[in-house]
Amino acid sequence: MPVALKIFISALLINNIILMRFIGLCPYIGMSTDVKQSVGMGFAVTFVMVMASTVTWALYHFVLLPLGLEFLQILVFILIIASLVQLVEFYLKKAAPALYLSMGIYLPLITTNCAILAVTFDNITAGHTFFQSIAYSVGVALGFMLAMVLLAGLRTRIRTAAIPPFLRGNPILFVLSSLVAVSFMGFAGLIK
Amino acid sequence: MNQRTSVFLQGLVIENPLAIIMIGLCSALAVTTSVANGIGMSLAMTFVLVTSEVIISLFRKLIPESVRIPIFIIIIAAFTTMVDLVMKAYFPDLSKAMGVFIPLIVVNCIIMGRVEAFASKQSVSNAFLDALGMGLGYTWVLISMSVVRELLGNGTILGIQIMPEAYQPILFFVLPPGGFLVFALFISFNLFMKKKWTKSPSGISDPEGGN
Amino acid sequence: MIKSMLKLGIVLALFASGACGALAIVYSITGPVIKTQEERALNAALKDIFPTADSFKDITRELTSSDPKIEILNAYEMKEGDKLLGVAVKATGPSYSTNAILLTGINTDGTIKQVRVLQLSDTPGLGANAANPAYYVDKARKITFTGQFIGKKTTDPFIVKDDVQTLTAATITSRSLSEIVKVSGEAASQYLSRKGGAQ
Repeated sequence: MPVALKIFISALLINNIILMRFIGLCPYIGMSTDVKQSVGMGFAVTFVMVMASTVTWALYHFVLLPLGLEFLQILVFILIIASLVQLVEFYLKKAAPALYLSMGIYLPLITTNCAILAVTFDNITAGHTFFQSIAYSVGVALGFMLAMVLLAGLRTRIRTAAIPPFLRGNPILFVLSSLVAVSFMGFAGLIK
Repeated sequence: MNQRTSVFLQGLVIENPLAIIMIGLCSALAVTTSVANGIGMSLAMTFVLVTSEVIISLFRKLIPESVRIPIFIIIIAAFTTMVDLVMKAYFPDLSKAMGVFIPLIVVNCIIMGRVEAFASKQSVSNAFLDALGMGLGYTWVLISMSVVRELLGNGTILGIQIMPEAYQPILFFVLPPGGFLVFALFISFNLFMKKKWTKSPSGISDPEGGN
Repeated sequence: MIKSMLKLGIVLALFASGACGALAIVYSITGPVIKTQEERALNAALKDIFPTADSFKDITRELTSSDPKIEILNAYEMKEGDKLLGVAVKATGPSYSTNAILLTGINTDGTIKQVRVLQLSDTPGLGANAANPAYYVDKARKITFTGQFIGKKTTDPFIVKDDVQTLTAATITSRSLSEIVKVSGEAASQYLSRKGGAQ
């Protein structure tokens, strides 16, 4: 199996960024109220994540590293992500105003989505090649969307369920996530 | 209750960033597999929170409204990097154990959220107290969670065997699903505490009426 | 309009340079400390595996990894005086969570001398036990996970649950780490046979 495909599947299922690594929880909890919203958010995140991965990878390998400025990595990466999200915002406002409005506050919040910064860092720590970074970020983004969609589906189901009082509200969401996480652990041996 | 104390106490229980506002979660669940990591993360996060809130409050009149977000990011990122460098230099094992979560402090919603909502509008001393309160609220949840998870999942606290030899560690607790579950219980405990405290006559009134 | 944008740009630039300046200062202090940490750790690890060695030569360029996922970070020829003791290979590869870094010592006869875990961030109580000196994969004979590789031939199959014992409930970590040892061993053996040392 080509390395890029292994990286993709690992990111999507085996090391699912939300369920296995706990990264990206805020939007996961906050935006998974319905499936449609989760899918929309998922695509937005995918787009930003892939762009961010490629730009930061290039900047790190062609600028920071040769100039010995690795210690500016955190600063530079987050600024790039923030700028990318701004650009996406501008573009969406003009090209797809309906989508822009429906995303509301959550679009700028993609900047602080831990998952995006985490992915840009992972690409460097894991020593991915340019192409592998793309495979990785697509895998992570889809895994993120998968987890959100699953939770959204579950939340819709339990709306009419009798939940014990001390678990109502947020606690039950985490209990549900715990159960989904258990099932995801089953993917562990997927790739040899 | 005088204003200073109430600012401080908000962060601890009533508006506990993790359990009530539900921000800054990622690091909280991921690093609580051991108490050492939990303490390290709390200290690092609180440091960045306090320094960022103080500096931003200090410069609040000099930061133009329209570019405030990038400037906040620059300041938070700078302090996060400092923590990262200091940890790599003087606590390399802890730094490696926490991996990407130290750099992730820069996108920790708690810091960005407090800086935008509070520090940029309040005096330095208020900002400082708010940061301390929020930092402590974060810390108590983190340390309690890691104590539970390490104790039940490994039989130790800070690597020291606490449970009797015969205790078979329940690995579930140090695995991701365990993290979610323990956190669920903490949120519900915190909600319970909040309800108790905001019902008392001398307490601050709670407009939401609990959850 | 342009003037106000310019002003904003300047304010941004000022904050940015202030931040970078502060960071450069912190880095100038911590940077060297971080480097010496790594050097000290490497020397200690090399000494740990080849206690009688008194010199080592960097031969990183001469070794190649047979597995694209596993990267050979450093390789050293370990000598005691004029006698070639073996090769130490520091290699990294994916493990359960992030990459793991192992240091493997290979004797001139193609057997493994010792394996040390330099970096491993897998789950405490599970995969992390690979680095735990008190955790035995073979409780009867008190053999640790890394200890089981001592004396193993680099030409062995290195199959988990077959000729490699696993950590309880941490098959993935076991597999990843043994793969790193295998690749390190192969690369070192190839180097040694090229040099004329026995295989």
